[in-house]
Amino acid sequence: MVAAKAGSRVLTAHQPVLVEVAKGDPRPRGAVLAALLPGCPGPVVVDLELSADDAAQLAYGLVLRDYRPLGKYRRPADDDPLPMPDRVMVLTDDPVAAQALFDRLLPVAAGVHLARDLVAEPGNHLGPAELAAQARALESLGVGVELLDPAGHGLTLLAAVGQGSTRPPVLAVLRWQGGAAAEKPLVLVGKGLTFDSGGLSLKPAEHMEEMKGDMGGAAAVLGAMRAIAGRKAKANVVGVLAIAENMPGGGALRPGDVIRSYQGLTVEVVDTDAEGRLVLADALAWACDHLRPAVLVDAATLTGAVVRVLGRHHAGLYANRDTLAARLLKLGRAQAEPLWRLPLSARCDDDFRSDVADWKNCGWGPVPDNDDAARFLQHFVDPKVPWAHLDIAGTSEADEHQLYGPKGATGFGVRLFDALAGG
Amino acid sequence: MKISFAKPHLPTDGAVIVGVLDNKVFTPTASALDDLAGGGLKRAMDASKFTGKKDQTLTVLAPAGTKVNRVVLVGLGKADEVDALAAQAFGGNALAQVLTSGDASVFIAVDAVPGLKIAEADFAANVAFGARLRSYRFDKYFTKEKKEDKPSVKKLTVLCAAPAAKTAFAPLDAIADGVFLTRDVVSEPANVIYPESLAAECQKLAALGVEVETLGEKQMKKLGMGSLLGVGQGSDRESQLVVMRWTGAKDKSAAPIAFIGKGVCFDTGGISIKPAAGMEDMKWDMGGAGAVIGAMKALAGRKAPANVIGVVGLVENMPSGNAQRPGDVVTSMSGQTIEVINTDAEGRLVLADALWYTKETYKPKAMVDLATLTGAIIISLGGEYAGLFANDDKLADHLTEAGKAVGEPLWRLPMGDAYDKQLKSDIADMKNVGGREGGSITAAQFLKRFVGDVAWAHLDIAGTAWSKKDTATCAKGATAFGVRLLDQLVADHYQD
Repeated sequence: MVAAKAGSRVLTAHQPVLVEVAKGDPRPRGAVLAALLPGCPGPVVVDLELSADDAAQLAYGLVLRDYRPLGKYRRPADDDPLPMPDRVMVLTDDPVAAQALFDRLLPVAAGVHLARDLVAEPGNHLGPAELAAQARALESLGVGVELLDPAGHGLTLLAAVGQGSTRPPVLAVLRWQGGAAAEKPLVLVGKGLTFDSGGLSLKPAEHMEEMKGDMGGAAAVLGAMRAIAGRKAKANVVGVLAIAENMPGGGALRPGDVIRSYQGLTVEVVDTDAEGRLVLADALAWACDHLRPAVLVDAATLTGAVVRVLGRHHAGLYANRDTLAARLLKLGRAQAEPLWRLPLSARCDDDFRSDVADWKNCGWGPVPDNDDAARFLQHFVDPKVPWAHLDIAGTSEADEHQLYGPKGATGFGVRLFDALAGG
Repeated sequence: MKISFAKPHLPTDGAVIVGVLDNKVFTPTASALDDLAGGGLKRAMDASKFTGKKDQTLTVLAPAGTKVNRVVLVGLGKADEVDALAAQAFGGNALAQVLTSGDASVFIAVDAVPGLKIAEADFAANVAFGARLRSYRFDKYFTKEKKEDKPSVKKLTVLCAAPAAKTAFAPLDAIADGVFLTRDVVSEPANVIYPESLAAECQKLAALGVEVETLGEKQMKKLGMGSLLGVGQGSDRESQLVVMRWTGAKDKSAAPIAFIGKGVCFDTGGISIKPAAGMEDMKWDMGGAGAVIGAMKALAGRKAPANVIGVVGLVENMPSGNAQRPGDVVTSMSGQTIEVINTDAEGRLVLADALWYTKETYKPKAMVDLATLTGAIIISLGGEYAGLFANDDKLADHLTEAGKAVGEPLWRLPMGDAYDKQLKSDIADMKNVGGREGGSITAAQFLKRFVGDVAWAHLDIAGTAWSKKDTATCAKGATAFGVRLLDQLVADHYQD
C-alpha cells in the first residue's frame, strides 16, 4: 500500500461523498469520481481497497471523463468548470501491475480526447489539409502515413465531392504494423468531411454549424490509430481517411452529374448532400483492392435518418457477416459505445436505381435513408471481405453530459476500434 | 431640375402651385389667381373633396382668365401646424403633381400666412427642399421609357417675398445632394455597386474637401480584422474599409464624432443562404454605409463647422468554394473570438471590426452606427421607425430629437445583460447570433462588445432604408434614411 502524504486529501470507501463511487465496476466509478473532483484541492488520494486491475481501470475511467472541450478559441468564463486537482493517486496493493495496465489504457484515452478535439475544431481551422496534417503527426508514434491525391489514384467520387471547395480532398492512409508481417490487417475507414455545407444541394442554415463535425468517422479512426500506436498494439491495423470539404463553389458537383467510381460502377449524383456514401464508396473499394483486409469496418456520420431511428444512444451497425456483427455488438457494450444492428437489404436497390447510371446516390424511397446508404456502400465492398458499417451520426456528439465525457464531441468509436484491434 | 427663388408675382406660363389652408382658406396667391380666373378655382375646389387638409392636392387645368397651363392647389393644413417638415411635404406633394405633367416650368407660391410655426424664408427654403427631394428618380436603366412618362419639369421657381430664402436653402440643397448620393448608391444593382466601386464613390468626396482613405484586404489582414474579412472571403470582390474625414471645426485636433456604416453590397446570406424570393432586395444591404457616405457629402457640402469621421465596411457576402462556413471561429481586431453560427448574420461581423478600428484609431467623442442589420426590427417597428440602441442616454436623446426634427423617427429599444448572455458560445468568446428571441437586441449586444467605453448608438435601419410606397418627399425606393438625421445631430450638438 502506498502511503498518503501529509496534507493530502484522502478519499476512502467510507466517506459519504464516495458512496455512489464506491460500488460497481471500477471504470465507471472512475468516471463518476472525475465528475466530483473539480474544485477539490489536490493532491487527492483514492483509497478504495482496489486490486491492481481495478485501480488502473478506475484511473482510466477518470482520465476519459476528465476532458475539457476545446478552449483555445475563447477566454476563460465565470461558469467554466473548476480545475481538477493537480494530482490523483489511486492506492492498490500492486502499484507496479496497476501502472503497467494503466500505461496501456492511457494512450486510448489520449486517442479519445484527440478525436473529440478534432470534431470540435471549426471548419476554417480544420480543413482537409489540416486533418491530413493531424494524420501525419502520428508518424512520431511509428505510424506510416501516406497522403494520396484522389484524382491521381482514380478516386473519382472522392475527388468529385471535394471539387466545389478551394481546399482539395485527400485520402490519408495510416499503417500500424504491430503484428506479424503476413497477418492481414484490420482496416478502419472513416468519413472525413471537414465541413459539409451540402454542396449545391445546400443544407438549411439552421444548425448547419454542426457540420464541422462531419468528419467524426475519420476522427474516430485517427483517434483509434493514436491509441493503437500509443500502446504499441501487437496487431496490424490500417486507417483510411476519406477527407474532403463539400462546398458550393463555382466548380462544384452538380445534381445529375454522373461519375464513374474507382470500383467501376457509375453513380448519378442526384443529391450532392448525400456525399458521405460517395467518398466512402471509393475509400472502401480502394481498401479492398490495396490492403487485403482481414476485416473492414467504416465509421461515418452518414445519415440524419439514423438519428430518427436510433436516437443518440446507439450507433447503427450494418454488417455482411453475422459473426463480425456479433463481435462488434459485444465490444460496443463492453466499451460503453453501444451499437444496434440494422438490416442490409437488397430491397433498397430499388430505391436507388438510376435511369442514366448504375446507381443513384440517394433513394428517397420508402426505406429509411440510413438503410439505403449502407446498402449503397455494400455495392462497393468486395463480398469476400467481412465488412461492417457504423453510422455514428447520432453518437458522435452528445447534447448532454455523458458518463465518460462532457456534452459535445464524444470520440465515439475510438475505444470500440481499439478493442477490435486487440493485441 | 433647376431651383430658383423670385419675388412674388402671378406667373403667365407653366404650372403654378398655391397653398390652401385647412377649411378651404386660400393663401393670398391662391386668392389672386382665383380672382383672375373669375372664381374658377373656388368652384373647382367646391366641386371636389379638396378642403386644404395636409397632403391633399387638386389640379385645375388651364383656368380661364389666366395664361398658365395648370394650377395645383396643395393642402397646407392648419397654419399653426406648418413647420419645416410640413413645408417639405408641401413642396414634395406639389412637385409630385406636376413632375411628369408635360410642363417644363413650375412656380410654387410661398405666402407668409399669419400664425405659421416657421419664418417665411425658412418656409420657402423647406418647400424647395421638399420639392427637390421628391424630384429624385432612379431611372438610368430604363432605355425605352416613353417621353410622356419622363419628368418634364426643368425649372422650379419658388415665389417668396423674403430675400433670405435663397440663403436658407443653400445648406438644405447640400443635404439634398447627400440624400441623392445615398439614394443612388443604394438603388444601384450589385453588379454596379460592389466594395471597390462603392469605395470609388467615397473617393469622389475628396472634391468637397473630405480626406478619404481606403484599406484593402491586405491592410485589414495586417490589422487583424478577421471578423470583417471572413464575411467577404466567399466573394471574388475584394473587401474594403473606407474612412472619410471632414475636419470643419476650428480646432482641427478636436475629437470627432464618428459615423459607421454597414456596407454589405450584396448579401446572399453566404453558405447560410437566403431563400430566392426577395433576395434582390439584398442589393440595399449597404444602406447603412450609403447613409454615412451621403451624410459626409451633406456635411462637407454645407461646410459644417465640425470634425466628423465616416467609416464604412464594404463587403459582398457570397457562397463559394472558399466561403466562410457556419461553425467557423474568427478572431476580430479587438482580439475577441467569434463563432460564426450563421453566415447570414454578417453585418455585425463587419461592424465589429469597423467599430473597433474607429474607436482605436480616432478616439471619437461618440460613435453612431447605421445598418440594415436585422429582419427582426421590421417585425418590431415596421417601416416607420428605425430601432435605436445606445449605451448612453444623452446620445440616445439627441438622436431621437434629431430624428423627430427631420422626419426620420427613431424608437429606442432595450439592452441588458440577460440579452448579452444569449451570445454565449461553447468554443469562442461569443456566437454571432443569439437565437430567435429579441434578435435585434442581441445583434446590438454583439456590437456593444466592440465599442469599449465610447458613447455609442446603433440604428437598425432594415425597415426604413427602402420604401415600398411613395411618401411626400421620397418616391418609393431608397429613402436615404439617416442622412438628414446625422446632419441634424451634428448641427444640434457637434458644431463650433
